[in-house]
Amino acid sequence: MIDQFYQGFAMALRVDTFVLMSLGLFGGMLVGALPGFTTLMAMAILLPVSFFLDPIVGIPFLLGIYKGGIFGGSIPAILISMPGTGAAVATSRDGYKLTQKGKSRKALDIALFSSVLGDTASDIFTIMMIFPIAFLVMLFGPPELFAVLLMSLVIIAATSGSSPLKSLVMMMLGLWLSFVGTDPLGGVERFTFGLFDLKSGIPLLPMLIGVFAIPELAAVVMRNEKARQLSTLMGERLSRLEFKRCFKTICRSTVIGTSIGIVPGLGQVVAAMMGYSAAKNASDNPENFGEGELEGVAAAEAANNAVNGPTMVPLLTLGIPGDNVTAILLGAFVAQGLRPGPQLFEEQGATVFAILIAMVFANLLFVVIGYLSIPFFSRLVTIKVSILIPLVMMFAFAGAFVFRSDSVDLLMLVGFGLFGIIAKYARFDVMPMVMGFILGPPLEYAFGQTVAMTSGDFVGFFLTERIGALMVLVATPVIGYLLWKRMRSVDSG
Amino acid sequence: MLNASIRKTTSLLVAAGMALGVSLGMAQAEYPEKPITMVIPLGPGGSHDLNARVITSVIPAYINQAMIVRLTPGAGGQKGTHEVAKAPADGYTLLFSHNYIDMLQQHVEKLPYDPKKDFIPIARINFAPIAVVVRGDSPHKTFEDLIAAAKAKPGGVSMAHSGNWGALFVPAAQMMKSRDVQFNLVPYKGGGPAMQALLSGDADVTMGFPATIGSLLQSGKLRVLASSGPKRIYDDVPTFTEAGVVGDIGFMHRVVLVRSGTPDAVVKKLQDAFTALQGDKTYKNLLKRLGENADLMLGDEYQKMRDEQDVSYKALVEAITN
Repeated sequence: MIDQFYQGFAMALRVDTFVLMSLGLFGGMLVGALPGFTTLMAMAILLPVSFFLDPIVGIPFLLGIYKGGIFGGSIPAILISMPGTGAAVATSRDGYKLTQKGKSRKALDIALFSSVLGDTASDIFTIMMIFPIAFLVMLFGPPELFAVLLMSLVIIAATSGSSPLKSLVMMMLGLWLSFVGTDPLGGVERFTFGLFDLKSGIPLLPMLIGVFAIPELAAVVMRNEKARQLSTLMGERLSRLEFKRCFKTICRSTVIGTSIGIVPGLGQVVAAMMGYSAAKNASDNPENFGEGELEGVAAAEAANNAVNGPTMVPLLTLGIPGDNVTAILLGAFVAQGLRPGPQLFEEQGATVFAILIAMVFANLLFVVIGYLSIPFFSRLVTIKVSILIPLVMMFAFAGAFVFRSDSVDLLMLVGFGLFGIIAKYARFDVMPMVMGFILGPPLEYAFGQTVAMTSGDFVGFFLTERIGALMVLVATPVIGYLLWKRMRSVDSG
Repeated sequence: MLNASIRKTTSLLVAAGMALGVSLGMAQAEYPEKPITMVIPLGPGGSHDLNARVITSVIPAYINQAMIVRLTPGAGGQKGTHEVAKAPADGYTLLFSHNYIDMLQQHVEKLPYDPKKDFIPIARINFAPIAVVVRGDSPHKTFEDLIAAAKAKPGGVSMAHSGNWGALFVPAAQMMKSRDVQFNLVPYKGGGPAMQALLSGDADVTMGFPATIGSLLQSGKLRVLASSGPKRIYDDVPTFTEAGVVGDIGFMHRVVLVRSGTPDAVVKKLQDAFTALQGDKTYKNLLKRLGENADLMLGDEYQKMRDEQDVSYKALVEAITN
């Protein structure tokens, strides 16, 4: 093992690896920053390129696109309140507020540093603990996933808005919206009113852009800030002191993100929200969260990036991809003649370590690339409002359309935009709705699987085989109640 | 749109270079004049996506145009299929699908298109034979052990599959019907998670294609109980026919279709290109590395198979849903 590690370390130190990784990181960042584009698309399109490269060059290149893309997604989330993925929703909350205060550079800087720190720590942890993680992954099945998802929803509802009751209402609405379309288990159509366009459900992007970006655009227009700029400056860079203040949050979120990465199927969205909720709960000034708190950006970004390390584990140890990104990586591995699975470490240990170590190098490289790129991106907000607003509007529509190239999505964008504007004025927070919408389908799926697994004997199944899941389920209302009480006392006090 | 245009630009560049290389004398407008779109009605990262990436990276050399992949997942494959059914029948929009989406779904529910009338096959690219697998330490040593266990306690054996009417569900249903047993079918989001459920002990049995089970089999984590195909894939493992499971079972045929009414010359040109791929070293090499075969079957021959599938899937769906 140790020998292979050293060998891998030496193998990863190649100029072409670094050059292509940098290209991947930069390209991924650009693609991720364009609303509507996903890192996944970029990876799939560039996958054949990796076929013709050496494994230690080709796979780090794809990993670079992936890592760059995740950070790229937080750029529009912070600058124009347009999260392109569910994982960037929590980031945009405080990130956009910071932009409005003229601190966009600080927000982007802290997003970069927390992403990289969270990712690096989780990668190193994964390299050291790959086999224990592989064992842990096996302990999670649908019942556990269901329990953890339910708990996540309760925590989000209890901690997100000023009024937990309003949050709960919005979350229910989100869950209901996620039911529209073909039921994922039985294939029954629900709430489609016979419309084919609704059969595959409501798409996420028009909702994300609609409820987050459109109301902000409307707000700027309604304030009639004709000649003004969104903020007069890009602001200063992050100071050492501010970074230090966020450091504890980053560490906490990294632990949360890494743990969530071990549970198959939870992913970045849950990690970001849990990291954010935990930071808010631990803070002395939770009322600052949502109003432009650097720690909020740090919490979300560190957590959603820390997921990455452990999600690689089932792929490497069993050859089973846990999500679409790892499925593409599997294709790249196989095309390189590396067959992920139990023997991978015995047969190709050094190469695998080289790839894992290249992941860590990619993070370090990205600090430099990201840091140098941020000034260019943050210049966006200094464009005159009269030009910026139409520009952002164009991006909103293009972004909503790109994903499925379906004009119905544009109608949905407008619909969700109007809904978002109304919700904003009625002081209903749209975030719990979006979270309910994103987490609804996996929750429902896990529930259906659990029911199928029990073959009728629900109580017996949990008591004899799934004590862990049962405990989480029992603890959930208690945790929810405690958080609710805490939030209320903060509000009144 | 942006996405499409970027892909278009890249592919145009590729195509432009290609055209220059081939000849400058081709003044006549001949199909294909512009890049061809290949619609996949499935999500990114799946086996269709990977196969398509191989095809589209090699085929431009034979059609002098780029081929662009467009993933249009949704409604169990119906969204992408519907899109191609609505596209003009000019050969610029291909559908890269598989036999269950193509021929089975019409019997399960009402579709906004008619697969038999709206599409003709260009070629079957390749196929994957499925195998029934259990854990290496499973008490079920043979296929008969498994059947006996399921007979002893109906629903007591849990089978992880990749979603209703999917590539693992249909053979499972065929097995249950042929051997008159009842498994407890538990759905997972794709073959990968189903395999993970088997390995973690959540499921007793599942199925997999050679590409996915190869490495796990070698390490002793899996045991194969039966496999599809006329010949044995694994020496001491029976085929489905030998195990008393009848019908065209357990094959995933990856097939390229176009709108019916597409001009014959265009169909021929596409078929020639796919045939030419068979002699391409890079193509064969990449598919082999993915663990896929390159067993091409041209449209007419596959159409016969399609007609048979139509009949047998209809009977199967009726048997299961009633």
